[in-house]
Amino acid sequence: MKWILFFGALIGLSICGRKRFFGDQVFRINVRNGDEISKLSQLVNSDNLKLNVWKSPSTFGRPMDVLVPSVSLQPVKSFLKSQGLEYSVTIEDLQIYREMDSIAGDFPELASRVKIGHSFENRPMYVLKFSTAEGRRRRPAIWLNAGIHSREWISQATAIWTARKIVSDYGKDPAITSILEKMDIFLLPVANPDGYVYTQTQNRLWRKTRSHNPGSPCVGADPNRNWNASFAGEGASDNPCSEVYHGPHANSEVEVKSVVDFIQEHGDFKCFIDLHSYSQLLMYPYGYTVKKAADADELDKVARCAAKALASLSGTTYQVGPTCTTVYPASGSSIDWAYDNGIKYAFTFELRDTGHYGFLLPANQIIPTAEETWLGLKTIMEHVRDNLY
Amino acid sequence: MPPSRRPPPASRPGGPRPGVLLAPLLLLALQGVAAAAPAGAGGPEDTPGLQDAELQRGLLQQAARAALHFFNFRAGSPSALRVLAAVLEGRARVNPKKECQVDLVFTTDHYNPEAGEERLGKCSARVFFRNQKPRPAINVTCTRLIEKNKRQQEDYLLYTHMKQLKTPLDIVSIPDSHGHIDPSLRPIWDLAFLGSSYVMWEKTTQFLHYYMAQISSVNQWKTNDDAVDFDYTVLLHEFSTQEIIPCRIHLVWYPGKPLKVKYHCQELQMPEEASGTEESSAVAPTELNNS
Repeated sequence: MKWILFFGALIGLSICGRKRFFGDQVFRINVRNGDEISKLSQLVNSDNLKLNVWKSPSTFGRPMDVLVPSVSLQPVKSFLKSQGLEYSVTIEDLQIYREMDSIAGDFPELASRVKIGHSFENRPMYVLKFSTAEGRRRRPAIWLNAGIHSREWISQATAIWTARKIVSDYGKDPAITSILEKMDIFLLPVANPDGYVYTQTQNRLWRKTRSHNPGSPCVGADPNRNWNASFAGEGASDNPCSEVYHGPHANSEVEVKSVVDFIQEHGDFKCFIDLHSYSQLLMYPYGYTVKKAADADELDKVARCAAKALASLSGTTYQVGPTCTTVYPASGSSIDWAYDNGIKYAFTFELRDTGHYGFLLPANQIIPTAEETWLGLKTIMEHVRDNLY
Repeated sequence: MPPSRRPPPASRPGGPRPGVLLAPLLLLALQGVAAAAPAGAGGPEDTPGLQDAELQRGLLQQAARAALHFFNFRAGSPSALRVLAAVLEGRARVNPKKECQVDLVFTTDHYNPEAGEERLGKCSARVFFRNQKPRPAINVTCTRLIEKNKRQQEDYLLYTHMKQLKTPLDIVSIPDSHGHIDPSLRPIWDLAFLGSSYVMWEKTTQFLHYYMAQISSVNQWKTNDDAVDFDYTVLLHEFSTQEIIPCRIHLVWYPGKPLKVKYHCQELQMPEEASGTEESSAVAPTELNNS
């Protein structure tokens, strides 16, 4: 599978031994007696399933953890069922978190992994901070947000590729080097970890968070309608079953609140970019009103420049404009909040494609998408660098 | 909706195709306040022309998509499916009943582009949206398409491939989570898209538009000497509400014959459920060759 090649390339030398890929699951299998142990050995030793034992039970009554590649999920489940073996599925470590750790480990002078909070289901929210500042001096900063809508997998993938790109190109590419001389970059590749896990294990097309809505059978709120910018206005729903349910109140979603708190505490963000898919659009505020933003003309120019740079790589064309009229009215969105809170350079990317594959973009388009998007991101960041306020 | 006027060419919806000219949206922006005052929202700080132009562009794209779904369905040919390339020009008229007639010209690409193939088809259409009611009335003609005999040949080839397929009932989804479609299953996807085109046309309004996200199950796949009998569930993605709508579709297809489709969609939010049946009439869309 192409995703395997992609992450193989990404992870490379930094992880020895086991490798994990999107869609793989860790099965925690209960072993109660010797008979069950031998049944399990049968399973684990079968060549074609390519299972990987992570934790072997030292005694009965302790579970065995086995990494099951996504292609083997069906046969393993059938086997366990037929043998009466009890199991549960756990995701111990998101692959992306391990890659983030690896990047921070490989480039400790430049990158660090920072925990900014946790999700509803208590998963950590990690950002990568890229900084060349001495000590703890605060610099004007850029926020790159990804994966807020969990099914938009090209977003998380582009983000983690970009993280690796930043550290690899620093000191070699004059653009990113000069940007990092003046500013810090914070990158949140998985802004909605619970949703992301859910798309891997239960429902590939899940969009929202996984928070519970009292009194409703429906789960989750749209984290990109939950920000405090015309919250519960037009372009959001008060129905918990809706894909654009705004939540009970602004920042009710802990994933959103974590980012808001961090950014406000920092106090010196100049740029906020949110990565989504799909449609190939590059947009700026507002989503919650057709009223023109005060800086719309400048933002429009910057966005057009960025779209042009993006297109220069493979000819991928993006439409540019304010959110409300380019895609649809949307209240409580991240970039509207950022903009109304003094972060002037606020943009949303809707990445590839334009509907042929939609959310299910084939793996062989990840790197081309990330590469062209990088050109667009750099254009914006260079403009911010040259127009600090 | 503004009274009829001719806006400059709208920009291309996009897609990774090098060398295609992008009609500048900037032109629309510069047009400024030439148009009559737009209906609805906006205070003195607006640039009515720009906002108006954006809405116009959105409506034209909406109309183009609807026209293409209808065209694909009527053509009944899984090897000759078209997608929207760019809207070239168009105008909209609204009547007192808030029904909206859109006349437009747009270009199309092959749904499955082959290497080196750059033939853009061109279509003109009249699309009549019935004030938020679905199933817009459509007249559409397209040019520069695959010649009829060649198309039927390719359909027949596809049909023979389908006959050779082992019954794919154990397939859980197409594509898989990573967007992968096994080449041997591609004909299933194309045929499913053809059937879904009918459904998507019927459900489109001036505000709602759909994409086919995934085939979530194949319930029945029967091929015999005079038809492919295909019963499947597809997940449609409605863009403005972001909802995923499962639709059970049953189609019967044979190369050169009109497509028969029955469907039933689960409308999770709305009280009514949408379903429909169509037996495509024998009238094929008129094709003008090499115009």
